[in-house]
Amino acid sequence: MKRPLIWILISILLLPLVVRPAIASEIWIFAIFGLGANLLLGYSGLLSFGQSTFFGSAAYVAGWLMKIHGVNAFLALGIGVGVGAASAAVVGYLCVQRSGLYFIMLTFALNQLFYFTAYQWTSVTGGEDGMPGVPRPEFPGIDFKDPVVYYALVSFLFLISLFLMRKIVESPLGRILQAIRENEVRAEAVGYNVPRFKLLAFVIGGAFSGLAGVLYAMLFGIVPLEAISFVFSGNVVFATLIGGSGSLYGPVIGSFVFIWLSESMSTVWARWPLLLGVAFVLVVLFLRGGVVEAWHKLFLRFSKR
Amino acid sequence: MSLLETRSITKSFGALTAVNGVSLAIEAGSLHSIIGPNGAGKTTLFNLLTGTFPPTSGRIIFDQMEITGTPASRIAHLGLARSYQRTTVFPAFSLFDNVWVSSFSRSKRSGLAWRNANTYPEVAERANQALRDVGLENKSKQLAREISHGEQRQLELAIALAAAPRVLLLDEPAAGLSPEETRKMVALVRALKGRYTIVLIEHKMDIIMSVSDRISVMHFGSLIAEGTPAEIQKNPEVRRAYLGGVAV
Amino acid sequence: MLYALMGLGLSLITGILNIPNFAHGALFAVGAYFLVSCALFMGNFWVALVVAPIGVALLGLVIEYAGIRRLYAAGHDYQLLFTFGLALILSESIILVWGPIGSSYLPPDVLRGGADLGFTMYPKYRLFVMVAAGLLVFATWLFLEKTRYGAIMRAGIENKEMVSLLGIDIKMLFTVAFGLGAYLAGIAGALIAPIRGLNPGMGPDMLGIAFVVVALGGLGNLLGAIAAGLIIGIAQALVAAYWTEASTVVIYAVMAVILLVRPQGLFGIR
Repeated sequence: MKRPLIWILISILLLPLVVRPAIASEIWIFAIFGLGANLLLGYSGLLSFGQSTFFGSAAYVAGWLMKIHGVNAFLALGIGVGVGAASAAVVGYLCVQRSGLYFIMLTFALNQLFYFTAYQWTSVTGGEDGMPGVPRPEFPGIDFKDPVVYYALVSFLFLISLFLMRKIVESPLGRILQAIRENEVRAEAVGYNVPRFKLLAFVIGGAFSGLAGVLYAMLFGIVPLEAISFVFSGNVVFATLIGGSGSLYGPVIGSFVFIWLSESMSTVWARWPLLLGVAFVLVVLFLRGGVVEAWHKLFLRFSKR
Repeated sequence: MSLLETRSITKSFGALTAVNGVSLAIEAGSLHSIIGPNGAGKTTLFNLLTGTFPPTSGRIIFDQMEITGTPASRIAHLGLARSYQRTTVFPAFSLFDNVWVSSFSRSKRSGLAWRNANTYPEVAERANQALRDVGLENKSKQLAREISHGEQRQLELAIALAAAPRVLLLDEPAAGLSPEETRKMVALVRALKGRYTIVLIEHKMDIIMSVSDRISVMHFGSLIAEGTPAEIQKNPEVRRAYLGGVAV
Repeated sequence: MLYALMGLGLSLITGILNIPNFAHGALFAVGAYFLVSCALFMGNFWVALVVAPIGVALLGLVIEYAGIRRLYAAGHDYQLLFTFGLALILSESIILVWGPIGSSYLPPDVLRGGADLGFTMYPKYRLFVMVAAGLLVFATWLFLEKTRYGAIMRAGIENKEMVSLLGIDIKMLFTVAFGLGAYLAGIAGALIAPIRGLNPGMGPDMLGIAFVVVALGGLGNLLGAIAAGLIIGIAQALVAAYWTEASTVVIYAVMAVILLVRPQGLFGIR
């Protein structure tokens, strides 16, 4: 579908004129994160509340490799994808045997496991203070420290992620995952090894999260502990739901909304998570059938599932 | 040579024995019905045959291969497909996508994650054929949750057909259908006879009597009689088990 | 022991209401803070110990009535977001009202100091907590096993439709269940305040553990939650004696291992 793509390209070009390039980067990074999360949430029907596990792990590992071992930043991006996928494989393997509430709780608990490990392992991760000193990529002739240049890199990678995710969603795999969401028992009866497919969804989602994680760390120059916390996982769930979990572009919209909300609130009040919580509650209680659905329907009109 | 066999198959759930030492032999190309009062264990038997859970004891042989304990997702690949008593389709999918998913399962899965799903002509053809077989080809773009109950029962059957099976296990395909819809369903089943080996569970006796080659009767988990429709009709055990309801 | 309390409360809520209650940890924290405030306000620990959990329970009832009730049909994702948002609101409110630093609170004189157990000296307050929590767990168990309403609750875990068909007001059941779960969380928080002190992060920390307990014990399996809570509590105490920093991580690691081997948890039914 051409039209949403055009809107996205336009936004990519115009955004840094409207907000600071750093924030613009943050939006697209979060959108990548959301795309990965939505493969699980929207397409497979797997409510994984632990996405920050993959995001944060990738950020920490890549950050550490770059800082301590001087690994090339581009290579680190690739490693981040790998770490995201690998951590997702581990978590997924443990979780796909369960469903419903069990599944949610397990993904959360494993997220906590990673969180506390990061918290305690201060020698490597810096604990509460985070891991500072994450460098930007280097390439002769290009200064990635320039926010606009970095923004260009981020947008480029976002477009690639979007393209990849679209391919996946339109592929048989995409359909199988949706079938699993619609009727897991029948999907299995029809011949699909459901746990294996769920695991695959996890790994792919994790890979996307990993990419986002490394880009995030490079953006801010630090891997904050929050990046692996359950609050962060909740944020991406929120962004996905508010944008509309049923479509490919939903998480992109949601990312806009979420980053805009959190950036504007955080400068105003240190206790802004309270407002965020209120936002979550309000969205769920009132907007669920209203604005979001309407938005969703509007959006579905120029994008197909 | 029988295509599908169970040998003394038993399934217990704790203290409850749902299926008790049932031995069946289904001939290739035949339509073999399983009847019995509610709770006789028929659906549990189907569940065993389709690998939903393994038997407590006993064996299942398909095409002379041991398939006891094979999990459900593998069974579909061996050529057994099932339709369910309670309609269980993919609600948010179009009818076409419903059968497509089933059809794709049986094809070579190259390019699983990157080829566009619409570029598998053989899969699409098999899917469309399944819809044609049940008479739903005109509605292929409608969503499964939007069609009538009767049409959903047809879709139910189409999903099983799309998997290109050798054996069809049909669990009460006429459940909840009006007399008119039931007539259509019976015609459908009759049209499928011969192309597939069919094992049928049904309560409506007229259907059973008119389409079956052989009938097995279950009661409280055990097989109490087996034979041709004519033999079963005359069987006093069966009459006793049914207590009113064996329509002739 | 306290883990058993938390696990029991959460198991009840998840079993009956079938929602992911991410606010359970926050309710725990609120219980602790309420206790300290009440105690300071009234000058009496014991009164506060009674009053504070009731406050949390009331909060729980309000939450259920005003919010959760509308979401039963909504699907886990929205329920999750709701309780998660609630948790955020509660923890931030705690910081707002009580400040971000956290504080400590000493147990009442009667329970200070150590008790001579013969083979070791053990803090009196901890003994009290163990006994109190144990009694509470037992009392709750009695309620659930022996009383009619308790039986209805347990039936509700098994089969909600049946219960409503029997003419019982299922909505009221849900509200009460949530209130009871909240009460248990609140009193666990209240009890622990003198031991661990107050700290705005205590909610999320406990939430994870509560989830582990319920996951290991089996959702809705009340006895399982109690047993799992005990096991985890003991395990953590043992680990903490040797390798303090890792004690929390170890709980989660152990859970991961157990679930690898037995996906249904220690006591869950597959």
